[in-house]
Amino acid sequence: MAFVDLKDICVSYDGKTNVLEGLNLQINEGELVSLLGPSGCGKTTTLRVVAGYIDTKAGEFLVDGQNYTKIPVHKRNFGIVFQSYALFPHLSVFENVAFGLKMRKMDKATIEQKVNNMLEICGLTEYKDRLPKQMSGGQRQRVALARALVIEPKLLLLDEPLSNLDAKLRIQMRVEIKRLQKKLGITTIFVTHDQEECFSISDRVAIMNGGVIEQYDTPENIYAHPNTEFVARFIGFENFIDVNRQEDGTYKALNYVFECGNSDLAKAKITIRPDDIQIVDEAKVNGISGTIQVRTFLGKSYQYEVNTAIGNLIVNGDGNKVYEPGDVLNLYLPANKIVLV
Amino acid sequence: MRRYKGLTIFAILVFAFLFIPLLIIAVTAFGSEPTISFPIEGFSLEWFGKALSSESFRKAFILSMEIAFLATILALIIGIPAAYALSRYSVRGRKFIKSFFLSPTIVPGIVVGYALFQFVVIRLKLPVFEGLLLGHFLVVLPYIIRVVGGSLEQFDFSIEEVAWSLGCNKFLAFFKVVLPNISSGIISAFLLAFINSFNNIPVSMFLSGPGITTLPASLMSYVEYNYDPTVSAVSVLLMLATVVIMFIVEKTLGISALAK
Amino acid sequence: MKKSMPYLFLLPGIVLLIFFLMVPLITILWPTLFPDGFSLSAYTSFFTDEYYMEILVRTIRIALVAAIVCIILGVPSAYFISRCSAKWKGILIAISIFPMLTNSVVRSFAWINILGKNGVINNLLMAIGIIDEPISMLYTEFSVLIGTIYLFLPLMIMTLVGVMDQIDNDMMEAAESLGASKLKAFIKVVLPLSVPGILTGAVLVFTGALTAYTTPQLLGGNKSLVLATLIYQRAMTLNDWQGAGVIAAIMIIITLVVMKILNLIAARLDKRGEIDA
Repeated sequence: MAFVDLKDICVSYDGKTNVLEGLNLQINEGELVSLLGPSGCGKTTTLRVVAGYIDTKAGEFLVDGQNYTKIPVHKRNFGIVFQSYALFPHLSVFENVAFGLKMRKMDKATIEQKVNNMLEICGLTEYKDRLPKQMSGGQRQRVALARALVIEPKLLLLDEPLSNLDAKLRIQMRVEIKRLQKKLGITTIFVTHDQEECFSISDRVAIMNGGVIEQYDTPENIYAHPNTEFVARFIGFENFIDVNRQEDGTYKALNYVFECGNSDLAKAKITIRPDDIQIVDEAKVNGISGTIQVRTFLGKSYQYEVNTAIGNLIVNGDGNKVYEPGDVLNLYLPANKIVLV
Repeated sequence: MRRYKGLTIFAILVFAFLFIPLLIIAVTAFGSEPTISFPIEGFSLEWFGKALSSESFRKAFILSMEIAFLATILALIIGIPAAYALSRYSVRGRKFIKSFFLSPTIVPGIVVGYALFQFVVIRLKLPVFEGLLLGHFLVVLPYIIRVVGGSLEQFDFSIEEVAWSLGCNKFLAFFKVVLPNISSGIISAFLLAFINSFNNIPVSMFLSGPGITTLPASLMSYVEYNYDPTVSAVSVLLMLATVVIMFIVEKTLGISALAK
Repeated sequence: MKKSMPYLFLLPGIVLLIFFLMVPLITILWPTLFPDGFSLSAYTSFFTDEYYMEILVRTIRIALVAAIVCIILGVPSAYFISRCSAKWKGILIAISIFPMLTNSVVRSFAWINILGKNGVINNLLMAIGIIDEPISMLYTEFSVLIGTIYLFLPLMIMTLVGVMDQIDNDMMEAAESLGASKLKAFIKVVLPLSVPGILTGAVLVFTGALTAYTTPQLLGGNKSLVLATLIYQRAMTLNDWQGAGVIAAIMIIITLVVMKILNLIAARLDKRGEIDA
């Protein structure tokens, strides 16, 4: 049985429209699971249900077999890191981290020992007497993490914890979070809207849209096989072509026939990433030609918007040859890179 | 949202404490007995009639309106340029001058009243109307400085500089560009000043003359010697006016404009 | 010309303030120090007069208790408002502002109706049969105190709402996730962060209550005089202008001292616990 089990969770803020529609999610012990989706998709709501800030309209939430649905926030023993960090501005770093232990009425020596240990792990020992406002964003982030971890929580909940950091620090911190999470073996839910960030640290990813989970799988599987058009678009597929299935299992758009993997979808879209379309001299199968309309420079290569009979396709060049707007290109869509949605 | 029950009950009691006394006045105004009683035994509009037909209340009301209006306008004319100078230019001793302009709020109202009484009434022997106007001007000037100053702090003066670069002279730029952008600040300053002048008592008590007095001051002396629902009726009328003002403010500026 | 312009804008106000505020103040304060040549006798006789001292102590006591009660009632109420939904917040702020905009005669008059011999409380107690004769609650220190609290509570609430609105709700949620109950989180997080606001509110209430005239006049009358009503009586009824001047000086000094002290404390706390950096 799963360690964390959300069963048919429904949430509504106004009593009429549901923000979460019968959401189900299972997480194994020690896993790091991300909730990924655009703003308003319900990922933060899900996290807040788990944290206990929101009452559910229906459904159950179990951790380790125990029903947590009605347990108040302060008795749940979950560590939470907020996007704003929510450090207590009137307390020093040490006091911030010690807050949860004091609430548990631990004796002074134990608190001292545990806090110092956690500050050590998070590399904060030298800052322990500082106030939050005297620290940089990355340091505050560490304090927030230390404060959540020191209570030895059953679950660690991270609500877009990296979005207030600059790009370099963000990468550094996500490695750090992953390291701590694995070291402590703590089951973690991570909310983010950043696909790259999410794929890099998660064991599994739940992609959410409109209050439901569209796909829940490992980052590798999602990357290679998005289930729906929404998921595909969200993780970087840009070309979508409406097709109909032929008798022989190929798909056809206008007069163009594409071979792709097996599917039982009669009507579908084929989709492919700009990186996976190849510019060739001549394509025997899965080929189409078009005229370059717009060229944009991406750094390592150029991206072309190519006008074809079946619509505009976005293609990333391989960097060997540069084409000009107006040039006619032959494009090849490899069957193993095409995904049907 | 989960709520804290004890807190809700506490807050309800506090708001009841704030609201019920005024509600009781409103009820007693409709009583039929000759003295104030609650609950009322019969319903009557007699006291509203009395309040509205009272010559002294009517005269006092008109005086209060005149004084409040003129004092506020005077304070705007003098206060807006001062607030502008204080936030636009790096005037030497800016902090000191600003607190000097706000000093009428530091000196207790009753002391301002007494000091003006000594100086304006006893020494200068100014007529009552002019004396009251001066006193109320002093009372409301800080509101203008504070509220208009507050919205000037928010104002991006590069907009004014753009107007200059487009050929607008400084005088015109002030009226065409600065004033329209701080208009909501000026309106809330006007309202606050007007309401505070209209409600002022300590200054008015000292500066009133025989037969010439503001509405709150005359209400006050009436309350000290009478105990009939006429005052309740006047109070209800005043509260109605307050509600109307609050409603208009809420629809235009937002109610927090009056909380400064 | 250019440099003098700001001063030109400031000049009319400064002239009027000097001529009609500073000069009059000197007019009333001068005779208290220089009756004929310098002397503090007016002050020593005030501070040695038992009757005056009683009034001074009463005034300070009322202002102090009013400030404390306003804190006790105001802090939870303001917190309640600051955590309400936008719609309820608007309604509750309106309810708090309404008394502030209502004339203080009306607000004091309300308490005459409640506390007076024919008032709501006496009628109620007699109807239940707890008392046979109406008891006199008006013209006592108690009635002045109630009226004063009633007068200044909205001011305290509005001051606090301004401060508590700044406290990020995430902070409360973080405290809860760390094991603090709502009450504990309030005491450990919201309260310490509200201290500067509480002090500001306390200054406003204390100095306001110390110098309020209408409410003590109507609810205390001549039986429970405070400094403000005493000054009026001295000046207008007894023509004791030197005495009135002394009281005026004392009121100004207490106001300034209290403002200065509490603002200093508030500034220090503010530095320590700024909400964002």
